[in-house]
Amino acid sequence: MEAETILALTMFAVTIAALLSGYPVALTLGGVALVFAGIGLLTGHFFLSDLRNFPLRIEGVMSNSVLIAVPLFITMGVILERSKVAEDMLNVAGKLLGKIRGGLALAIVLVGALLAASTGIVGASVVTMTLIALPTMLKTGYSPKLSSGTIAASGTLGQIIPPSIVLILLADAISNASSRASTSLGALPQAVSVQDLFTGALIPGFILVGSYLAWIIYNAIFNPDICPPTSDAENSFPSTREIFFGLFAPLVLIVAVLGSILMGIAPPTEAAAIGVAGAMFLAGIRLAKETDADRWSPIIFAGLISVLALLFLANTFDLRLGRDEISFLDYLIILITVGIAITIMAGLVASTLVFHKAEHFKPAVTSAAHITSMVFVILIGASLFSLVFTSYYGDELVASALAAIPGGKWGALAATMLVMFVLGFFLDFIEIIFIVVPLVAPPLIVAGFDPIWLGILMALNLQTSFLTPPFGFALFYLRGAISEGIETKDIWLGAIPFIALQLAVIALVASVPALATWLPSVTR
Amino acid sequence: MTDLLIFSGNVVKLVGLILSPLLLLPLVLLFPTPLIPKITKTCVRWIESTSKFTLLAACLSAIIMVLAQLFVIFGRYVFGWSATWLNEIVIYTYAAMFLLAAAHTLQSNRHVRVDIFRDRMSPTMKNSIELVGFYLFIVPICILILWSSVSRSFVASWINFEGSRESDGLPIYFLFRTLIPLFATLLLAQGLANAIKTAQTFKTQISKSNRGSQNGS
Repeated sequence: MEAETILALTMFAVTIAALLSGYPVALTLGGVALVFAGIGLLTGHFFLSDLRNFPLRIEGVMSNSVLIAVPLFITMGVILERSKVAEDMLNVAGKLLGKIRGGLALAIVLVGALLAASTGIVGASVVTMTLIALPTMLKTGYSPKLSSGTIAASGTLGQIIPPSIVLILLADAISNASSRASTSLGALPQAVSVQDLFTGALIPGFILVGSYLAWIIYNAIFNPDICPPTSDAENSFPSTREIFFGLFAPLVLIVAVLGSILMGIAPPTEAAAIGVAGAMFLAGIRLAKETDADRWSPIIFAGLISVLALLFLANTFDLRLGRDEISFLDYLIILITVGIAITIMAGLVASTLVFHKAEHFKPAVTSAAHITSMVFVILIGASLFSLVFTSYYGDELVASALAAIPGGKWGALAATMLVMFVLGFFLDFIEIIFIVVPLVAPPLIVAGFDPIWLGILMALNLQTSFLTPPFGFALFYLRGAISEGIETKDIWLGAIPFIALQLAVIALVASVPALATWLPSVTR
Repeated sequence: MTDLLIFSGNVVKLVGLILSPLLLLPLVLLFPTPLIPKITKTCVRWIESTSKFTLLAACLSAIIMVLAQLFVIFGRYVFGWSATWLNEIVIYTYAAMFLLAAAHTLQSNRHVRVDIFRDRMSPTMKNSIELVGFYLFIVPICILILWSSVSRSFVASWINFEGSRESDGLPIYFLFRTLIPLFATLLLAQGLANAIKTAQTFKTQISKSNRGSQNGS
């Protein structure tokens, strides 16, 4: 074996071991890489000049305009969570559906799928739903197994249902892998955009949600004892206002943000910024009453109505400023439009003030900054890792190992999926995207797999991994969020039916690639 | 002007070199030294307030990023107007957001860890991992970033006050590039503050367990 191969192999092994020590992932990745760069320097297998260009990689991350959507979606999710809009959605949906058998569980799956969309981080949505919904479910008489299984599984939906943050990061990684694969094939690079991955994930995501719902309905019919309806005493029907602002308005926001990306009306970054503004408006409305800031409400509503007016004006009149001749009428309308835009801004500021008065503004922004920094510092650490790993031909090693697996390209795919599944026990989705995907995706794409389909399959696979005992992340978070009233054994057993559903959907998408690739090919 | 810039750059470098022995402080603290704990306390306090201040800057960047992106959308979809400088504000504030918040993220322990084994470790074990991690991972990474980012082209950037490549862009590309060494410096400083705190608790833990075993015998 050559010295480089040995270095690459030990580097990978040491990295995994070092990660398990519990030191921050981002720093471990970069640090181990540098230790091995040092070993290489001493033995003459590594050159200092390779590290000189590292700041260029950081600058690449700093000016990657696609990834700007990530902090924006994180901010949107944090606002929805802090302002209790997310909590309200769960409560209102629970009240609406609670009257029927299995209704609470159905509400969790549906809201989980929607919320997921905005938070996209397993921990956050599992913890939120556990705290809000699990006590109610247990009190109503749901079996601990079904309740915990539903919550854990719905929490992981955030990975696959767009606009999830991990899909944005995955799109970036898959796109790079795809262009590297086409370079080695000598073909034209097939770009994979965030929109492609979002649309690709839509049908598999819907199938997944549908199968969860079907499982709960099956239980409601054949096992009515484990999912009873709520009693009338503790469950009043929600008011129209509650339904409108608690469920319908957030639903419109999420559909609008997602829709504009899927239909190609707006790039993800812009849709995400609209999402942040919309979440802020919802937060302002939600918190105005309880903070005695009702005097701001008219401004917030004026801002919201102005959004509709702006949409109407912008679609009816030609408001472009760069034209040669602008008629007096157009000038007037442009002036009105500017006024409307100012009203929207005023509404946004009023919402922010309400949010601030409820003492959620600073914590929300801080939390968004922390999460964003956590994600991107991992990206920086992982790029240092791949820089050193590649200089020891680690990527070629992975490619030749995949090629050596019996069973052709399907064997290689199965092996990759298995490795990712196991890694999913220890590492978060983000780390796997940054470390593993750049290594395994190019050879698999060269072997002839569709990049979008591959990305969706990886996302589904990891989502299942997070649900699998004993190491699944979602189960840990659930366990951590509730200390008593439910046994670990129940959590594990409760997850099993959902894992089975996941595996069935993976098998379905693997055997019918069109499920993931058809929609992107239509909307492209 | 150029001379002044190069002079101040050298001053910054000198200050950095003079302060660099401070990186050994956590190790020194592990031994029974008569070193005044007041110095270390001041050191930690200064670093932590700096991290807090840069977090504030990161939060401000986040707010500006959202607003600027909204203005971009207003401009493009309503008035058919776009400007490079506005788009550059979005990009620069996005970069500033995650680079400037990194140190405080470390301070408040929000960088993600793999905690399946960590939960079962003894406090002594955890603390030793933190100390080893500081010297083995944080210090080399930050020094590498500092060494490689403050390059010849970086100096040229500053001397020419390099701006955007577009004519209607922001004239502050040199500041954008400066975020990288700034990020490394802040992270290194916060790592040092964490390591000092860890070393202190480490020492008290060990002396406690020693006393405990003496009492036991």
